[in-house]
Amino acid sequence: MFPDWMKDAPKPYSSVLVANRGEIAVRILQSARELGLKGISIYSDSDANSLHVEVSEEAIHLPGKLLSETYLNIEAIINAAKISGAEAIHPGYGFLSERSDFAKAVVDSNLIWIGPSPKSIEIMGDKISARNKMIDSGVPIIPGEEIFIEKDEDYIGPLAAAAARVGYPLLLKASAGGGGKGMRAVYEPKNLKSQYEAASREASTAFGDGTVYVERLLTKARHVEIQILCDERGNSIHLNERDCSLQRRHQKVIEEAPSPALSDEIRQSMGESAIKAANSVNYVGAGTVEFLLSSNEQFFFLEMNTRLQVEHPITELITGIDIVQKQFEIAAGIELNLNQEDIGINGHSIEARIYAENPSNGFLPATGILSKWKFPNGPGIRLDSGFREGDEITIDFDPMLAKLIVHAPNRESALRKLDTAISDFIILGVMTNLGFLRDVIKQDEFFEGQITTDYLENAPESLFIQTSSNPSHLIAIASVAERIGVNRQSPGQLSGEMVDDYSGHIGDPFRTLSRIFP
Amino acid sequence: MEWSIGEENIRYTAELSDNEGEMTLNSVKKEGEEIPISDISISYNSNLDRFLVNIDKISKLAHVVKVKDSYWIHLDGRIHIVNSHEIGYSNQKQSEGSLVAPMPGTIIEILVKKGQRVRKGQSLMVMEAMKMEHKIQSPKDGEVISISNEVGQKVDMGAVLVEIVD
Repeated sequence: MFPDWMKDAPKPYSSVLVANRGEIAVRILQSARELGLKGISIYSDSDANSLHVEVSEEAIHLPGKLLSETYLNIEAIINAAKISGAEAIHPGYGFLSERSDFAKAVVDSNLIWIGPSPKSIEIMGDKISARNKMIDSGVPIIPGEEIFIEKDEDYIGPLAAAAARVGYPLLLKASAGGGGKGMRAVYEPKNLKSQYEAASREASTAFGDGTVYVERLLTKARHVEIQILCDERGNSIHLNERDCSLQRRHQKVIEEAPSPALSDEIRQSMGESAIKAANSVNYVGAGTVEFLLSSNEQFFFLEMNTRLQVEHPITELITGIDIVQKQFEIAAGIELNLNQEDIGINGHSIEARIYAENPSNGFLPATGILSKWKFPNGPGIRLDSGFREGDEITIDFDPMLAKLIVHAPNRESALRKLDTAISDFIILGVMTNLGFLRDVIKQDEFFEGQITTDYLENAPESLFIQTSSNPSHLIAIASVAERIGVNRQSPGQLSGEMVDDYSGHIGDPFRTLSRIFP
Repeated sequence: MEWSIGEENIRYTAELSDNEGEMTLNSVKKEGEEIPISDISISYNSNLDRFLVNIDKISKLAHVVKVKDSYWIHLDGRIHIVNSHEIGYSNQKQSEGSLVAPMPGTIIEILVKKGQRVRKGQSLMVMEAMKMEHKIQSPKDGEVISISNEVGQKVDMGAVLVEIVD
């Protein structure tokens, strides 16, 4: 049974397999359900009890623990679609979402691919061909070049020569990279070798390709990106910008829309450039064109993400458009029923990414069990997460726990709402950046909208130290908890405690006697 | 029981009096010295699993969870960790000069050799966790006297990685 809105579609379908996990799988599956589509999930061994499995109507197990056996296994995923009778595949972000061979395999299996054509993905996925397309279509680009290095070849010569042509400071990027992985800044020639090795190694681990691209590093720049939607009939619109300037090691931390730095003129010309970029590859679907905005208001094409973006919710809130719903409609061949004039900016939206990490210890990833997880809600507050209380955070996947998104009439009220929402977010058992996020949005630079992408690298040390309450208050609470024996047996608490090998019990008195105190 | 807050090395002790489930704070000592305290009384609602904290006549709610030997406390919109220690045990988690894994992960590169002199802040090894690389830096100047692992090995949080002596 096709949902009612699908009846006159050129390519109707009634079920969708989400080839992903975590918060984005949950978000897509929820949209699918609302739209009357049957949502099917896939899961690896360690995800058997994960939220994305729970919110899907059907789930297919992909045996194995390695990504190459599960979420990166094209054959197994296509097979899962066949077993479940799924008619369409949504790739989410990350994993196989920007792999043209996956898109092609989906299309070749007579399934509907919710995304752009394999050809569009391929051109935009390769930084050289993407740059050439931009040059041809008149979209400004950053000076840079790619180096082709054979495995085990002596790379120092060609690398140093390329670096000298591009100029320092420069950015080394894995050609197949993204999301901050496989990227390294090099300020001086003497660090070139070690940074190249690190970038190339990280890229191979994450993407299976070690080719590196050398690009001029623009300092004091902002990261501003344009969300676009294109249908199969050649209609293309943009949904305005997102400002993702607050980053740490090229990983976005806070995003907002609209950008506090964009004039209407720049917004319009950046939007036009984004549409030019999309049209240059006959783009179909939702996509994002990323730009660097320099301090003198020049912008340069960075890359195009040919998929749904992590921070898409802020655009949804200011435009009132459900981007995932549009993806479903476009994939069915339905015409975009929107003109550029219909797209407005309603208020201000900010997203904060909650990571399992320790800001006061170099942002090292944290693990543990979400023993207590109480999230804020109310008007203008949205939480996208793939976790719930009792879930265990391991080192196997990305450390992002949740996206906390607020929407308010203007930037000041959105910031206040975000601060309140973060302070109401109770995550106990796993170290997070919650306190750091509260501190960072109160910095003058952030409040005034002056953040550039290098802000956190040069921020004062004190910003990374957790703000503490009065010690005697905390000691009093802990002492009372100890006295009354608070030891809540939440599901998390149970699995969080070590089970004694001998007795099979938790908190065995014999184990307690022999434990080592710090 | 002695207490420390977060990653600080300062030790506290506290004395409470119990008044039919309502606890009152009598005194707090910081490194053995009594410090000024507010007027604090605390009660616990087990149905709601919340602590009602009354500080100088102002009431607040706190959420508390115990994980291993630490209490995780949500108070005033912030999350705090208070660690418990048996009285008399030293502050040092491990012998002087040994560097432990700050996170669980895989060792992907070792940048120093046994016997090598290192400077404070120098990168000693590279670990990978959650698909990201992290540099392990020397906490002080000194000589590397042992390296516990090889490239490719998985280590738990707290495992000794390198020992350094002056």
